[in-house]
Amino acid sequence: MSYLVLARKWRPQLFADLIGQEHVSQTLMNAISADRVHHAFLFTGARGVGKTSAARIFAKALNCQQGPTTEPCGVCPSCVEITASQGIDVFEIDGASNTGVDDIRELRENIRYLPAQSRYKIFIIDEVHMLSINAFNALLKTLEEPPAHAKFIFATTEPHKIPITILSRCQRFDFRKIGLGPLQGHLRHIVTQENIQISDVGLSMVARSGGGSMRDALSTLDQVIAFCGEQIDDDSLQGLLGLVSRRILLDCIEAILTRDARQALAVVQRVDEHGHSFRQFCRQLVELVRALVILKVTDQPEDLLDYAEVELQELRSLATPVSLEDLHRLLSLLIRSEAELAVSNYPRLTMEMVLVKLASLPRGIEVASLVKKLEALERRLAGGGLPAPVSTPVPAATSAPAPSLDSPPPPAQGPELKKPEPAVAAAVDMGEKSWLGLVEFINQRRRPLGSRLEHGCLLLLKLPKLRIGFPRQYYNLLDNDLRDALEVLAREYFTSDVKVEFQLVNGERGTPPSLHEERVQLETDRQKKLKENAEQHPMVKTAVEIFGGTIEEIKPIDKGFV
Amino acid sequence: MTFDSIIGHDRQKEILRQALEHQRIAHAYLFEGPEGIGKRLVALALARALLCQNGSGCGDCAACRKVDHNNHPDIHILDAEGATIKIDQVRGLQKELALRPLEGRHKICLIDGAEHFNPAAANALLKTLEEPQPNTLIILLSSRPESLLATIRSRCQRLPFQRLPKQRLAEIISQRLDLSETEAAILAALSDGSFKKALGKDRELYLQRRRELIRSIAALSSGSIIPIFKLAEQLAGGKDQLTDILDIFQTFYRDLLLLKHGRPATDLVNLDLQEILTRQVDKETTEGLLQKLKALDAGRFYLQRNVNRQLAMEIMLMRMTAA
Repeated sequence: MSYLVLARKWRPQLFADLIGQEHVSQTLMNAISADRVHHAFLFTGARGVGKTSAARIFAKALNCQQGPTTEPCGVCPSCVEITASQGIDVFEIDGASNTGVDDIRELRENIRYLPAQSRYKIFIIDEVHMLSINAFNALLKTLEEPPAHAKFIFATTEPHKIPITILSRCQRFDFRKIGLGPLQGHLRHIVTQENIQISDVGLSMVARSGGGSMRDALSTLDQVIAFCGEQIDDDSLQGLLGLVSRRILLDCIEAILTRDARQALAVVQRVDEHGHSFRQFCRQLVELVRALVILKVTDQPEDLLDYAEVELQELRSLATPVSLEDLHRLLSLLIRSEAELAVSNYPRLTMEMVLVKLASLPRGIEVASLVKKLEALERRLAGGGLPAPVSTPVPAATSAPAPSLDSPPPPAQGPELKKPEPAVAAAVDMGEKSWLGLVEFINQRRRPLGSRLEHGCLLLLKLPKLRIGFPRQYYNLLDNDLRDALEVLAREYFTSDVKVEFQLVNGERGTPPSLHEERVQLETDRQKKLKENAEQHPMVKTAVEIFGGTIEEIKPIDKGFV
Repeated sequence: MTFDSIIGHDRQKEILRQALEHQRIAHAYLFEGPEGIGKRLVALALARALLCQNGSGCGDCAACRKVDHNNHPDIHILDAEGATIKIDQVRGLQKELALRPLEGRHKICLIDGAEHFNPAAANALLKTLEEPQPNTLIILLSSRPESLLATIRSRCQRLPFQRLPKQRLAEIISQRLDLSETEAAILAALSDGSFKKALGKDRELYLQRRRELIRSIAALSSGSIIPIFKLAEQLAGGKDQLTDILDIFQTFYRDLLLLKHGRPATDLVNLDLQEILTRQVDKETTEGLLQKLKALDAGRFYLQRNVNRQLAMEIMLMRMTAA
C-alpha cells in the first residue's frame, strides 16, 4: 500500500470533523433533520478549506442506509463505497476536465433513471467554474427542476465565474478560511494520532504557513515529517520552511532605521549565505514592519500580534524613536518590492537596491502636518506679520471691479466714490486692518456670516471694541452664537482680542452706510452714468430721433467701452 | 543519475532521501527554483530511485538504464507544446495515469515548466493532482511558482531549490573548464548559480567582450548623443545575447553600488576591472546608481514585451546617462 499524504488520510468523514466551517455543517445538518433538503448546492471558498470533503460527507449523509442522517454511519455499503469514491449513485465529476456541453448532455441522459440502490442520485461537480458557458446553459433547466431523486453539489474556488442563472438556482455556502486556533488544534490532534513529537511553537509555524488552508498546512506537516521523522525540533523546522531567523530580520530593520546602508548590505549577504529566498525574507520583513506599525498605533497589540512578551519589548524599543509616517513608507516600499522580487531576474540585486534606497531615504514628514505648516504660513502672510502682497489687494477687492468698469469719465464719479471710502478708512486705521478687510476675511471663511455683516454698518472700531449697527430686519436674526463665531474670526483677523457688540439702528442720521448699501449706491451711480453717457451719444440720439423710441435698458457690452 | 552525482542541493536531496526512507513520498511535488540549477536532474534521480529494481537507484538494472535513456514506459514527461501546456496534453496524461504501471511499481509524471500551463489545462489537472491512483507520483517543475494557480500549489508538497553558492560553482567551473581563479569567479557570479549558463556557449561573451562593453558604457555621458545611439545600435544588433549583456551592465552598476557602501571586494563580480570601478565610483551618487539600475530593469521589461529593440536600447541608455 502506497503512502497516503496526511491531507488525504485525514480527510473529514463526518460533519463534526469539518474544522472551522460550523456555519455550513450546522445548516446542512438542520436541513437534513428537518427534511428540507434543497436539490442544488454550491460550495465556495479558498483552497483546502473543506469544500470537496463537505460535499462527500453530505452525499454520505443523504444516502446512508440508516436513512438521511446527520451522522453517516460509515459502515453501511453506501457509506463505504462513497468513502472509497466508488459509489454507483454518487457521481463525482471533474468539472475542469469535462467542460463541454456534451458532457452535460450525457449527465442529462443519465439523470432520468432512478438510483441503482440508494435513495438519491448525487452529482458532485468539482471545479465547476471551468464548465463552458454552453455547458452551464445546458444545465439550467435540469438544475431548476431535477427529478426528485437527484441532488447536485457544485464546488469551486472561483464563484465569480459561474453564471448568475446558475447561482440563483443553488443554495450557496461560503466556506471560510480556517483560523489559526482551530487549525493548530486539529494539527495537534493529528500529530498525536500519528505519534509525532513537535513543540507548540513548531506547530504554530506549520499552521501559519498554511495561510488559512488546512491542506496547505497538512502538506507542510507532511514534508516536515518526511524530513525529520517522528521527532521534530524547531530549528530544523525553521530551516525547512525557509524562515529567516528573527535576528537577521531585526538587524535589517535596525540598519534601515539608523540609515546605515552598509549594514543593510551586510544583512543581504548573510541572507544569501544562509540560502534563504529573498522573497521570503522580504515577506517576513513586511510582517515585522506591520508589527511595528501595530505597536505604534495600539496599546494592546497582543490581540493582533502573535509574539512573546520579550519579543514585544524588543520591537517596542525599535518602534519608539520612529515616526509612523516613516514606517508607512517602509511598509509600502517593501510590499512593492515583494512583488518585484517575484519577477526579478536577480533577486539579490533587487533586494539590495530596495534596502539601499530605504536606508538613504530622508526622514519622512507627514503630508497632513506639512499642509498644516503651509496653512500657518499662509495665515501669517495674510495676517500681516509681514507686509505681504496678499493683504493689500483684499480690502481693495470689493471696490475694484466697479471703477474699472467705467473708467473713461473718472472725474464725474470721483466725489461720489470717495465718500464712503474715507468714512471707513477714518474709523479704522489699525495698521493694515480695516472693517472692509474683516468682512472680506470672514466672507472667505464663513460666507453666511460675512453676507450678514455686509448689511451692518460699522459704528465703532477701537480694539478690542467692535460695535456694529444693524437695521431691524437683520438685527432680529442675530444671536449670541453668531457673536461668538464673529469674535473668534475677528480675533484671528486682528490677532488680538475683540469684543463684539451689536446695536439696532433705524436709519438714523449719522450712521455710516453698510457695505451693502455702498455697493448698491455704487451700482445705481454707475447705471445713472451709463444712461447719461448713452443718451448723449450722437448715434443713440439720432436713433431715438429717427424711430421715436425710448431707452429701456442700458447694458455695457465691454469693459471700458460704453 | 543518482542523488550523489548531482552537485549541490544537499538539503533538497536530504529531504527526498528521508522521505524515501520513511516511505513518505507524497503523490505530488512542486520543485521550484531558478532555471538551469538541476531541478529536473533531481526529479529524474528521484524517479530512478523509485523505479529501480534493486530499490536503490543502482544504475545497473534495466529500469535504471531505461530511466537514464529516457525510455522508461512508466515515466511521462510533459513539456510545453509551443508556448503553453494545453488541456489535450493534460487529458492524455490523465488517461495514462488511470492505468496501472507497466513495469515498475510506480507511475511517474514529470511536468517541466509548470508555469506554462494555460488556465484550462491547469484546472483540468486539479482533481488528478489531488487524488491520483495509488503509486502515482507527479512532479511539477517551475521557475516561477507564484504564477501557478493557488489551487495547484496547495495540492503539492513544495520543495524550493536555491542557486548554487558562488564559491562552489566557481570551484567546479575552474575544475571543468581549466580557467584561472578570477575568471572562474567572474563566470560563477555572472551565471548566477545556474550551470546551464556557466557551462554554456557564452563564455567568450562573459570573459572577453564584457570588458569592452563595460568600458564603452562607462565612457558614455549625457552630452554624447551620437555614441549613445551607436552603442544602442550595436546592442540591438545581437538579439540573442542582449539580455545577457544587460545582465553584465547590471553587475557593473551593482558593483559600483556595493563599492559606494564599502562592501569588500569579494562581493564584487567584475574583479578584473577594479581600476574602472574605483575611477567610476567617485563620479556616481547612490541616487544615480539606483536610477541606472531601474533604467536597466525597464529596458529588460520592454524587451520581453517585444518592442523595437533599438528604440528600447536608445531610451534605456539615454536614461542611464541622464541619471
